[in-house]
Amino acid sequence: MNHEQSKSQIQLTRVSKSFPLASGDFHALKNVSLTIPSGKLVAITGKSGSGKSTLLNLIAGIDKPTEGSVSINGVQVEKLPESALATWRGKNIGVVFQFFQLLPTLTILENVMLPMDFCNSYPKKERKSRALSLLEMVGIKEQADKLPSELSGGQQQRAAIARALANDPPMIIADEPTGNLDSQTASSIFDLFASLTRAGKTVIIVTHERDFSEYFGHVIAIADGEIVKEVIHA
Amino acid sequence: MKTRHNKIFRDLTSDYSKNLMLVLAIAIGVFGIGAILGGYSVTKREMTDNYLSTHPASATIEMEEDISRGMVDSVKAMPGIAEAERHATVVARMKVGEKWFPLLLFVIDDFKTKKTNTPFYISGEREPSPSAMLVERTALVVMKAKEGDELEIKTPHGHPQKVKLSGTVHDPSLAPAWQEQSGYGYISLSTLHALGETQGFDQLRIRVSEQPFSKEHILVEAKGVASRVTQKGYHVHEIQVPPPGKHPHQGQMTTVMSIFITFSFLILILGSILVSTSMATLMVKQVRQIGVMKTIGANSWQIGVMYLMMTLVLCILALLIAIPLSRLAASVFYHQLAVLLNLEIRDNTIPNWVPLLQIIGGIVIPLIAVAFPVIRGSRVSVRTALDNHGVLEKRTATNFWAVRFSRISFLSETFRLSIRNVFRQRARMMMTLGLLAAGGAMFMTALNVSEAWDNNLKRIYSQRLYDLEVKLNQPLKADSLLNKIRRIPGVTVAEGWSHSPTAISKGEATEVTQTYPDKGHGSFTIQAMPLPTRLLSPTVKEGRWLANPDAAEVVLNQNARGGYKLGDRISLAVYGKPTAWTIVGFTEDVGSPAMAYTSYDYFSTLTQTQGQVSMLRIAYADRSRQNAELKNLEIENLLQAEQISVSAAIPVWLLQNAIAAHMKVMVNSLMAMAVLMALVGTLGLTATMSMNLLERTREIGVMRAIGATPATIRKLVVWEGLFTGGLSIFIAIVLALVLSTFFGRFIGNMAFRTPLTLTVSVSAMAMWVALIIIGSYAATLYPARRANQITTREALSYE
Ligand SMILES: Nc1ncnc2c1ncn2[C@@H]1O[C@H](COP(=O)(O)OP(=O)(O)O)[C@@H](O)[C@H]1O
Ligand SMILES: [Mg+2]
Repeated sequence: MNHEQSKSQIQLTRVSKSFPLASGDFHALKNVSLTIPSGKLVAITGKSGSGKSTLLNLIAGIDKPTEGSVSINGVQVEKLPESALATWRGKNIGVVFQFFQLLPTLTILENVMLPMDFCNSYPKKERKSRALSLLEMVGIKEQADKLPSELSGGQQQRAAIARALANDPPMIIADEPTGNLDSQTASSIFDLFASLTRAGKTVIIVTHERDFSEYFGHVIAIADGEIVKEVIHA
Repeated sequence: MKTRHNKIFRDLTSDYSKNLMLVLAIAIGVFGIGAILGGYSVTKREMTDNYLSTHPASATIEMEEDISRGMVDSVKAMPGIAEAERHATVVARMKVGEKWFPLLLFVIDDFKTKKTNTPFYISGEREPSPSAMLVERTALVVMKAKEGDELEIKTPHGHPQKVKLSGTVHDPSLAPAWQEQSGYGYISLSTLHALGETQGFDQLRIRVSEQPFSKEHILVEAKGVASRVTQKGYHVHEIQVPPPGKHPHQGQMTTVMSIFITFSFLILILGSILVSTSMATLMVKQVRQIGVMKTIGANSWQIGVMYLMMTLVLCILALLIAIPLSRLAASVFYHQLAVLLNLEIRDNTIPNWVPLLQIIGGIVIPLIAVAFPVIRGSRVSVRTALDNHGVLEKRTATNFWAVRFSRISFLSETFRLSIRNVFRQRARMMMTLGLLAAGGAMFMTALNVSEAWDNNLKRIYSQRLYDLEVKLNQPLKADSLLNKIRRIPGVTVAEGWSHSPTAISKGEATEVTQTYPDKGHGSFTIQAMPLPTRLLSPTVKEGRWLANPDAAEVVLNQNARGGYKLGDRISLAVYGKPTAWTIVGFTEDVGSPAMAYTSYDYFSTLTQTQGQVSMLRIAYADRSRQNAELKNLEIENLLQAEQISVSAAIPVWLLQNAIAAHMKVMVNSLMAMAVLMALVGTLGLTATMSMNLLERTREIGVMRAIGATPATIRKLVVWEGLFTGGLSIFIAIVLALVLSTFFGRFIGNMAFRTPLTLTVSVSAMAMWVALIIIGSYAATLYPARRANQITTREALSYE
């Protein structure tokens, strides 16, 4: 656990997000303020359409707030220009998608190596061994040379997590990462996320799954674009 | 290799069929450009080189008297004159089978030291032995003879005699003999005398030593020579200065090439549309991946470079295929043109700018085509890219007319779905339609224009109501002869005309013309006919036709028109003297060089040749070629019995053949273009159809999953293709009309100074419709089969 990671912190200050619609603006997030300390496993819960993904996208710099500011480790995300944002995101945030989104023509190993290539983050010679050790950590080292389509959903999601970890970002975000998996596979994925927080990473997960609440140190419940409940375990 | 390069490589190799289509699309454009420009550049260079290497005379000075050798030497010694040579050209006739054809005899002073208009010796004698003749290689076909054979020829004043063809030459300054439907022979003066002529050399050919390509300079020098020979007692009656350094068919060549270049430009545009469509399709599937890559840290620059490299690989592949093939096609093309223009290709290197242009075109255009979707793709926010709705597919408005149309209840469910699918991606559909419509329009235009040519050619018969033209060696009183001709059964009309070479007189001592040494190209003739004539039905474009037999009125055809207006006074040199006329009309002739038409009565009074004619024009009841050949023979026999000395007898069918042969280059090129267009069109259709489908693999999987049979899917796909194809036909027809009008005007004006009348070739239209229907059907078969082969599971997991 290094010094910087211990300091990592997500700070949302009076953030609003609205989408222009033909029938007028639609307010997906309304005046949300939020602080998430580092090293926690955080859940964002709520009904479909309540604004969970919108919140996550703002944190990852995938979307920009209409009002307010998003600060991550002291960086004003919404102020970064597009290209700097991509590099910043590549190094600071690992994204895990619901539909895995592995590049279909690359092998699992190559998929994991790709972020290091884009961010030029590790010496070329080390990338392969790093990718392999990440795959070993998520438990699919044997599948390294296969194409994504040859893997099961759970294995693909593990590969996606390995890819999210490639640049050793202090923060992982995942939008319904288990939405497409059976509950047994889902629980092993949550185990994996929990082990990441023990290594000092902040992991933010959008989830419906009530069964796994015991994993979370911090639960944020959203309804109609507002935080309706925040539970923080010690 | 970087990991991202692995992705490029895998993406390229993972979807052969689609990437192959892309490569083909690029290759076609590159191929078209290379074939056309390669052929063009070589032909143009060789044409000029061939022509210049014969050392064409800068000017020919024609005199009344025979020129002495001493005179030639003194002209040669003049400053500014590089070469001087005496020469004579005699229009004789040759007998091929039972028919007489024109034969141009070039009388050469000294075969060994000839320095102007030198032909290339190919085989046999280099200097014909007495009573032998060298022939131009293309004339052997017309003569139906080979070297060593004997040919029966007749000079204006001689009896028919056999002459041995003792050697073959190539003279690139002459149009192919089969194009002119005449023969070319080279003889010595003594042979000419043996053939029954008494004349000597009456032409002085000179080459200037400076500014050989300046017409003004040549004129000054030629006039200097003319005044020098006049001082020595000669009478100069004409100075001929053909356009310096320009092959007699340069104009024709320019026309053909401008068509080609226009078409190749259009092919390039079509190719680009094809490439853009293909690239856009390719990118649709990549947008989500771009989104993913951006999320894991790729910046826009890195992504741009990745797709740039991907495109470059495709381009380079296309270039590797297309450039060598295009060079092959170019060589077929220039060899073809060389035959039509009587050229010998000595250097067949295609200049480097051609492949350079191909490389630039084959790389820059696809890059531009790919730039748009890449820029759009990399601008798409990550969130949109990852949206599970899919990207770039704009929600089709439900009130869109296609949707309503497709609701018409009697249409089958499948058919309705096909129609909706066609309109689902409006931008792509526009591209496909544009491609097909442009291809079809060009295909039909090519055939329309070539049919317009044909129709124009047929006007020869409707303008010229005679079937045989007999040119006499001396003007004579022909009343009784004409009566005898009229009594031949099958002859309807016979008239006696006068004709004379002429020039616009600028009041100078000697007339200057632009005539080439073959006496045809660039010439200007005055024709005088009894009014009203029954043998000419001119197409009067402006003013009126000749009416008053006693008026100094003249009608000019389009080649003689120049800048004159109706009512202008014009001075024409006749027998070396200026004569004054008023222009009353302008005609549009098919297949005539510059021509001035006047009344015989007035002309003969003016030239004091009353009652004498120099030309007979005869019409038959049955105008078919077979009959004309028979009647011509009868008339020839009559003329022979009457001991009339004939210089040329030209049947109208022969004239039509000659003109048709001139147009052959044109028509052939248009046909080649039509074929190329058909190829591009069908390929484009196949490409877009298969891409449309490949992109919908998932959807097809869903349909299969919910119970669509392979037959339903095939039907769906085939209908979609047919519908797109059918729609394109209508656009193509409209476009073809516009293009045909434009091209007809352009080509007609360029080649014969008359626009071609808009002609709609029904067979072209039918061919294109058939091609599109068969093409759409065939183009959809493979993708349909492929769509059906993929298992539902695969289809659903298809990225
Ligand atoms: N691009 C968009 N345009 C318009 N409305 C949007 C857009 N994205 C999300 N929304 C709306 O914002 C609300 C919240 O969306 P989202 O954050 O995706 O919900 P959740 O993830 O909680 O299901 C929804 O009602 C959704 O329809
Ligand atoms: Mg969501």
